[in-house]
Amino acid sequence: MGYSMTLTENLFENLRLELRRGCLTLAVLAQLKQEHYGYTLRKALASRGMEIDESTLYPLLRRLESQGLLTSEWREEEKRNKRFYRLSSDGEEIFARLLEEWNQINTSIANLL
Amino acid sequence: MELLDRYLQAVRKHLPWERQDDIIAELRANLEAQLEDKEAALGRALTKEEAEEWLKQIGSPIQVAARYQRQQYLIGPALFPTYSYILKLVLTWATVIYVIASVVTIAARGLGVEALAGISLVHAALRLPWIWLINAAIVTLIFAAVELAGARFPGKIYPLAPMTPPWSPLDLPPAGAGDLDWRKPRSFTKSLLEVFFGCLFLAYILLVPHYPFLLLGPGAWYLHSLPYQLAPVWWPFYWCLVAINVLEVAWKLVDLARGSWRKRKNPARHLAMHVLSLIPVGILLAAPEQKLFLLKNPADAATLGGSLEAVNKGAFQVLSIVVALVILQLAWMGVKMGLNAYRKRVAAQ
Repeated sequence: MGYSMTLTENLFENLRLELRRGCLTLAVLAQLKQEHYGYTLRKALASRGMEIDESTLYPLLRRLESQGLLTSEWREEEKRNKRFYRLSSDGEEIFARLLEEWNQINTSIANLL
Repeated sequence: MELLDRYLQAVRKHLPWERQDDIIAELRANLEAQLEDKEAALGRALTKEEAEEWLKQIGSPIQVAARYQRQQYLIGPALFPTYSYILKLVLTWATVIYVIASVVTIAARGLGVEALAGISLVHAALRLPWIWLINAAIVTLIFAAVELAGARFPGKIYPLAPMTPPWSPLDLPPAGAGDLDWRKPRSFTKSLLEVFFGCLFLAYILLVPHYPFLLLGPGAWYLHSLPYQLAPVWWPFYWCLVAINVLEVAWKLVDLARGSWRKRKNPARHLAMHVLSLIPVGILLAAPEQKLFLLKNPADAATLGGSLEAVNKGAFQVLSIVVALVILQLAWMGVKMGLNAYRKRVAAQ
């Protein structure tokens, strides 16, 4: 019984992570219409109900930047050098298309349920 | 904070060297800002235990650093189907080539020394896993290198999707072909024709000793002029061959008489007939002094003895290779039957 519960939990956790992975990118792109550095972005997302681990968010920002969806610059703020990210023009275009896709999926799922 | 410094130092060790400074500077800024917030909320500095708990929540240094790696896996999902396909192909062909090469080498060394042949066979069999391992390692390394290059130079190196052979649904074999053939019910005409041609073949092989030209054509007269003749061991070989054919025809006749010709072909029966086919070849291999051919006139031994020995040795080696290949085929059929039975059992559960 306990073993099968663990299996079910593991399965659920894997599927949950899979479901969240794409959504996190969308959430980050949405939030980075305004400039943020890593920690304030994390707080802003959390305040809107989208909790993301540090170890997931910070590497994700780097990956999105290397893909050309974000731009970044180092700047001093409150006596500390921080790296600020913002959506690039390519990122804005991709975000708009992803958002459209997301809305279509949402509508389809709502129709199915 | 000393614990944070130690943590960042540990993360740094596992980061790609060319981006270490940049990543650590950013991570430090983010974590220090988070720490300040936590301390401001508490109105005091974190205790050692609280700091330890916080850093544990962020994740182990290796895990955190791994997230910054460009490549998260040895062979990614885009490349994996091609990798898997090529790996199976390479392992299959490596096995086939190795087995043929081993059989030929052992036969060339002379199977006559039975003990040595046995040892060589065991050595060859023990080397097979290494052949698999080496080939699998080479294929894996090549694909890992392609994956690495793809991660290092994104957009410049494409996955090996074009290597997947071009295909069309129209080229696929008809449904029911191959292994599924066993499941098709057989027609009465086909079963009747099988019996008819079985009887015809039986009549043919019964006539061959009396009319050798039926087997060899004009070559029969040439053979007649040769100073060699077949050794007596060919008679038991011949009658064994006849007996196997009689058995097969009788089996089919019984099927027809009992009306069981509709039944699907039984793979076990097919396998049994293959095993039986080994007996006549085994009889030849057990020939006294490995003599399959003799001189018509023993007085010619002085002049033709050498060439006769070479002919006998060559024929014996060819038969050894045939037996080895048939045994391999049988083993393959056995493995396939076992796998099918296992799959059916699993599917039924």
